[in-house]
Amino acid sequence: MNTIKILLLGLVLSAPALAQQNPQLYNLPSPYDRYSHYVATVRGGAGIPIGPFASGYVDKPTLRNYSFSVDWVLQKPISIGVEVGKTFYSQRLPRAIYQSEEGEISAVQTRTIDLMPIQGVVSYYFAKPNAMIRPYVQAAVGADLLTYSLYYGSLANQQQSVKLTYGGAAGAKFLFKKDGSVGADIRVKYNQTSLNYDYIDKGVGQINATVGLFYRWW
Amino acid sequence: MKNTKILGLLALITVFTACQNDPLSDLTVEDSQVFITNHDESVNFKQFKTFSIVDSVLIIGNQGTGTTLGATDIQFLNTVVQQMKNLGYQYVSPKEGPDVGINVAQVRNAYVNVVSQPNPYYGNYWGGGFGGGYFPGYGYGYPSSYSYVQTREAYWYLEMLDFKNPDVQNEQYNVIWNAQIRGNGLFDGVDFDTMVRSVFEQSSYLKIN
Repeated sequence: MNTIKILLLGLVLSAPALAQQNPQLYNLPSPYDRYSHYVATVRGGAGIPIGPFASGYVDKPTLRNYSFSVDWVLQKPISIGVEVGKTFYSQRLPRAIYQSEEGEISAVQTRTIDLMPIQGVVSYYFAKPNAMIRPYVQAAVGADLLTYSLYYGSLANQQQSVKLTYGGAAGAKFLFKKDGSVGADIRVKYNQTSLNYDYIDKGVGQINATVGLFYRWW
Repeated sequence: MKNTKILGLLALITVFTACQNDPLSDLTVEDSQVFITNHDESVNFKQFKTFSIVDSVLIIGNQGTGTTLGATDIQFLNTVVQQMKNLGYQYVSPKEGPDVGINVAQVRNAYVNVVSQPNPYYGNYWGGGFGGGYFPGYGYGYPSSYSYVQTREAYWYLEMLDFKNPDVQNEQYNVIWNAQIRGNGLFDGVDFDTMVRSVFEQSSYLKIN
């Protein structure tokens, strides 16, 4: 009997406290604002050659341009991540005669380059982690597994190498719903890869304009 | 957990590497053909008047050597003779002391390459050794996903020998011009005119009339 009384008393005393706690619970910032978390982003879009790379080797844009990144989003307006990409440029030139040390070569050239960058990425954000629209700028540096393949007809002059790559980007993340974990990503990135081989003497410069989807978790 | 992430990243790299494109899938037979010519720049071809040609097509390569004289070979030789006549040279029999002689050969080689991919460290691996030193730096392009590659190549090889000015000291005739016709569809006889005309036309210095 005594126990029931104490329990009841306890209930009555704690009722106001419960009532006060509930609004506080709802007022708490989202976990994405309170904790560091992760974002995975898949991007795809156009790759546009620029600079000496465009004038000297390939100037045809490509849609074979993808990347995947995972970022660790800190409570500061910064994230640190890794991005793996793949871009493939290809351009066919009509038959022409090329002069070389070996003589005259009459051929249809197919100029290709395959880029596979692995970059460390630092991003700075202009809005809170849980903002519906979160613009950002990025700096990236890493290594590029690149394959230069220049085909004369069906004959290949091919070189594979690992080169330094770096870039800068600006973009924004758009949440599909408030507090949600899925959203869209739009980004424009400038990327430069050092290379000095055959037709390319001042590296591979390109602009990647991509749209993507991201998923975040904590 | 950490290992899973690293494995995931590796798997992704593998997928990206495996997705090699074949940029030559839409290349026509004509567009696949490459005509390579080279000549001795110290030679003035205007000094030559007559030529002769081998009576059958030579076969050179690491699978054995010999000669062949099938219907397409005769057709090819006749096409070469016609092109030489068009450039102003007069055909004579080998016994009549031609100024230049033409060799016509089919080069047939086979190689087995062991390739492990992905491996970015091969550098210029593909470029070496093909073509018996005639044109180093070029080989056949294959999808890089193969781990064993058997390469067979066969192509036409033409060369012009200077009989008028033999190298007496070394007892040899100098090769003053050569040409390679490489690519696909080389031996079906359909394009011989175009093929042979291409190598002579891009060698404008051969013209003597």
